[in-house]
Amino acid sequence: MDVSDILAAHEAKQKAIVVEKDIPLEVDAGFLTVTDLNPIDVESYNEDLEDYLLNTARDGVQTLIASLFQLPVTPSEDGPVAKLPAPTTLLPRAKPLPKPKPLTKWEQFAKTKGISHSKKDKKVWDEEKQDWVDRWGWKGANKATEVQWLTEVPKNADVDFDPSAQARKARKERMAKNEKQYQQNLARAQQAAGSASSSTPNATSNVQRKRELDKTLATTRISTASMGKFDKKLDGEKKLRGVKRKFEPAEVSSSTEKSHNLAILSKLDREPSAKKAKSGGDDVLNVRKAVRFASKGKGSAALARQSGGGKGKKGKR
Amino acid sequence: MSTFRAFILTTTVILAMLRTIKPKNARSKRALEAREPKEVEDPRTVIFVKGTHAGEKVDHAMKELMALKRPHAISFSKKNTVRPFEDATSLEFWSQKNDASMFVLGQSTKKRPDGMTFVRMYDSRVLDMCEVGVEGWKSMQEFKTAKATPGHKPLLHFASDLFDTHPRLQQLKSLLLDFFNGEIIDSICLKGIEYVISITAGPLPDSPSTSSELPKVHIRAYTTRFLSSGTRVPRVELTPMGPSIDLTLRRHQDPDPELLKQALRRPKLKKQDIEKGLGNKKKMRNLEVDEMGDLRGRVHLAKQDLGKLQTRKMKGLKTSRDDADESDESDEDEGQVRRKRRKV
Repeated sequence: MDVSDILAAHEAKQKAIVVEKDIPLEVDAGFLTVTDLNPIDVESYNEDLEDYLLNTARDGVQTLIASLFQLPVTPSEDGPVAKLPAPTTLLPRAKPLPKPKPLTKWEQFAKTKGISHSKKDKKVWDEEKQDWVDRWGWKGANKATEVQWLTEVPKNADVDFDPSAQARKARKERMAKNEKQYQQNLARAQQAAGSASSSTPNATSNVQRKRELDKTLATTRISTASMGKFDKKLDGEKKLRGVKRKFEPAEVSSSTEKSHNLAILSKLDREPSAKKAKSGGDDVLNVRKAVRFASKGKGSAALARQSGGGKGKKGKR
Repeated sequence: MSTFRAFILTTTVILAMLRTIKPKNARSKRALEAREPKEVEDPRTVIFVKGTHAGEKVDHAMKELMALKRPHAISFSKKNTVRPFEDATSLEFWSQKNDASMFVLGQSTKKRPDGMTFVRMYDSRVLDMCEVGVEGWKSMQEFKTAKATPGHKPLLHFASDLFDTHPRLQQLKSLLLDFFNGEIIDSICLKGIEYVISITAGPLPDSPSTSSELPKVHIRAYTTRFLSSGTRVPRVELTPMGPSIDLTLRRHQDPDPELLKQALRRPKLKKQDIEKGLGNKKKMRNLEVDEMGDLRGRVHLAKQDLGKLQTRKMKGLKTSRDDADESDESDEDEGQVRRKRRKV
C-alpha cells in the first residue's frame, strides 16, 4: 500500500493552516487576543501597506483560531461552544474589589459551630388548598392560625380569649424581634467598618478615646467642692494624683488684693474675642438679642406692630 | 489656600450632586446593586465625548468606534469643554454618574489637529490617558463588504515587537485591549467569531529629521471567513470591513503607581482554582479536579521488581531442598511441619 499520496495530501492541508514565524506568536485565548512580536518588515510595509497589514493579520488570526479550535468544546443549539481559559494579560480593574459582607451575629455563631445553613423556599405546600402559597406576606402561610374559622381554645382560657388576636400578637412580636436584630447587625457592621477604616491602627483610635475619657473623668472629679472625695468609686479606678484643694490666704497685702481686683475688672470690661467678631454694630448692646428679648422671640416686625400699634388681636400678655 | 477652598467647594458640589441614594423600591435597589463592585467585572462602558471642536474626521471615527463598542457605549451628543490633561473633575463626575469607566474624547485644535484621547478610570478616578491623532481615516461605508453583527466579540491582533518593549505602545495595547475586549468570558461560540481588529505599529522612524520618534499605529477591522481545510482547524481568510484608522501617538499620562497597584489587585483564588493551577501559585501537578468536582490525585510508585513478585506457589518452583538444608536446619524443620499440617 502506498501512503505517500495520503501523506502529501495531509501535508498540503497542514500547510494551509500552519503559520511559521521567527518568533512564535503569543496567544491569550481568554481575551481572544494574539500578539505578533516579530519586528515589522520595513520593505513590504513601505511597498504596499494594506496588503502587508492584511497578511500579518491573517497569519496572526490563523494562529489564534488554531488555538481556539483546540479548546474543549460543548455542543449547543448555535454550534460548538469553546471553553476559554483564564486570560493571561493583566488589565486594571474598573472598580475596587468587593468588600466581604460583614457576618451577622447568627452567621458568626453558625460559623464557629459549623452549622450549615439551608435556604428556605419562599413557597410552602398547602394541603387544604392543594396549592403552593407564600410562606409570608399577603395571604401568607404564617397567618393561617389568625384567619382560620375555628380554633381550639385552651381549657383554662379567659372568657374574652381571642385566639386570632393572640396569634397576631405573637407574629408581630417575632417581626419586631427580627427587625431589632437586623438593626443591631447593621449597627455592628457599621461600627466594625468605622473602626477598620480609621486609618490603619485601630489601636491608636482606642488609645485616643481612652485618653479623652480619662480627661473627662478627671474634670468631673475636680468639679465638686470636695474634689471628688465623696464620689462613688468604680472598680479599678485609680486615685487622681496631684489634685488638691487650694485656698487663698485670708490676709494678703493691699497691693496683691488691688491687682487681683483690677484683673477681675479688666476681665469684665473686655468683650470675649469670639463675640467681637460676630456682633455687627454697637459694642455695648447686642441688638439682635435685645429685639428677641423685647418681642419675646416674635421678631422685630411683631414688635413694631405692637408698639406702633393699631389694634391687632387681643395680645397675650 | 484659595485653591484648597476651591477643591473643597468642588468636592462638596460633586458630593451634593451624587448624594448617596437610599433605594425606595426593589427596582432601584437592584439597579444600585448592579453598580456595586463585582469580583468578575462587566465590560467597561465607554463614554464618547466631543470637545469644543472635534472635526469631521474625529467625529466619524468616534461614531464608528462606538458602533464597534455597542452596547457598552454612551454618546454625549453635546459639545463639552473638557481638557483631560489639565482638569479631570468633569470626567470623574461623568464616570460616577453614568457608571462608566472609560472615555474617548474628541478634540481638534490648531496645535493638535484631530485628536482623540482614550481615558481609563479606576474607581471613578483617572488611571491613565493616551492622546492619539487621527491621520488616515476610512469609514466602514467605504468598504462595500458585509459587516459583522453588532454585539459580537472581535478577535484582537497586535503586531509589532514594540508592543512588548516600548512603554508608550505597551500602554496603548493595554488601553485598546481594554476598549475592545476587556471582558472576562468563560466560553465563546465558535460560529460567532465574525471579525478581527488588527492593530499594527509601524517601524520606528529612524531618520532624525522627524521630530516624533514614535511609530504610527494602524487599526484595521476585517471580517473572517473560515474555509474547510480538511482538518479540525479551518483556514482563515480576511476581508477588510472598516473602519481603518491610522494614528500617531501624542500626549499621555501614565498611571499613578499606587492607584495602579490597587487596580491590579486580584481576588483571592478559591481552593479549587489553586488546585487547577490558576493564579501565580505553582500548579500541583498530581492533583486535578474532575468534572464531578472531586479531587483526584496521582501517586508515584517506584519501578517494580518483577523478579520478587509473589506468584502462585508450586512445588517445581521451590528452591531445592539441598539449598535449604545448607542454609538452615531448623528452618527446614519448621517447613516440614507446616507441610504436614496442611496435608492433614
